[in-house]
Amino acid sequence: MATTTATITINSTDLLTDELSLTSTATLTTAGTSTGVTQTSGLARKTTLAASAAAIQANVLYRAGDYTADKANKVYIKNTSTTAAEFFTVHVDQEELGRLYAGDWMFMPWNATSGTKALFTVTIAATWAAGDTWEFDGVTLVAANATVNDITAQIDALNYPNWTTTYASGATIIFTARYASSASEVVYATADGTLDTAGNGTANISGAAAGSKSESDITIRPSVHTAMTYETLLINE
Amino acid sequence: MATTTAAVTLTSDLLSDNMSVTASTTCMKAGTTADGLDQMEYGYVDLVTGDEFDLIGATPTASKASKLYLKNHSTDETYFISIVQNAQAIGKLYGGDWMFIPADFHDAAGDIMITANGGTNKICYALFHEGITLVAS
Repeated sequence: MATTTATITINSTDLLTDELSLTSTATLTTAGTSTGVTQTSGLARKTTLAASAAAIQANVLYRAGDYTADKANKVYIKNTSTTAAEFFTVHVDQEELGRLYAGDWMFMPWNATSGTKALFTVTIAATWAAGDTWEFDGVTLVAANATVNDITAQIDALNYPNWTTTYASGATIIFTARYASSASEVVYATADGTLDTAGNGTANISGAAAGSKSESDITIRPSVHTAMTYETLLINE
Repeated sequence: MATTTAAVTLTSDLLSDNMSVTASTTCMKAGTTADGLDQMEYGYVDLVTGDEFDLIGATPTASKASKLYLKNHSTDETYFISIVQNAQAIGKLYGGDWMFIPADFHDAAGDIMITANGGTNKICYALFHEGITLVAS
């Protein structure tokens, strides 16, 4: 079993009239067990830079949808800046946790509560011909033959930037968004795919449902547009 | 000025190579290099299952460089406390876990709330800050 420990030491000789010395070590285990956590993002380092103050954007550190919710995940973030006034503002979803000033670090639990992902079903039907096309999410299928089951399998084999597919057999395939999204997102319909068929082939979308937004993505926003660097590490189940 | 340092060491053998991350910071007032955080609150409470505590009774000055240390001293690994800020779930501290975060306290709703689960959790906390607004009696 992997053993991961996190030790904090807080010292001060002059904050109180007596010396303050606090040390605590946690062995990081999976939720509710004594089994060690087994996954990590590894330590990452990134420099933020924008053209102007007006162009500053928040950086998404971790998307909740990529991790199992309600586990004993832990997040470490450090602002490596040496300029005292520079800080990163840390948010969980829309809630501002606080500011990491130059040299500051933080270590916190993270429940990774995601929203739900949009999905829909595509059914390939009627008369298709080799060379017919169906385009969705910027990806174009070119039918290799006229068999609808084969065409559906071809759709499944393609890689979509914003969607994953679930397919077993037959002529129907389920598309699921890679990330939870806003509840105001449109419900996908047949017209969202572009069909070009020599016959009367169809690629109808049914069973579509909008997603709901993620509830605990972690983002940080630099205080200045000039270069600032942070380091981060996720330890998760 | 008061000088308070907070250091962390993370070690693990879960990768093919050993991992070790260390960091240390001197807890300064917001945006300064010459003036350290000079006030603190410290507490130790037993928290019965189901109770929700507003952990910080007063409102520290908002948008400063306050730091919050929180540890669950429970020895039962199934016990945990849920951490919530302004209705936003942050995470769970299981028995033995600790956290150290910058705490913004952007308004009265930005308080840290904790709820015990599994049994009576023993919670230790320390807030290092620049000043607080006392709650009127």
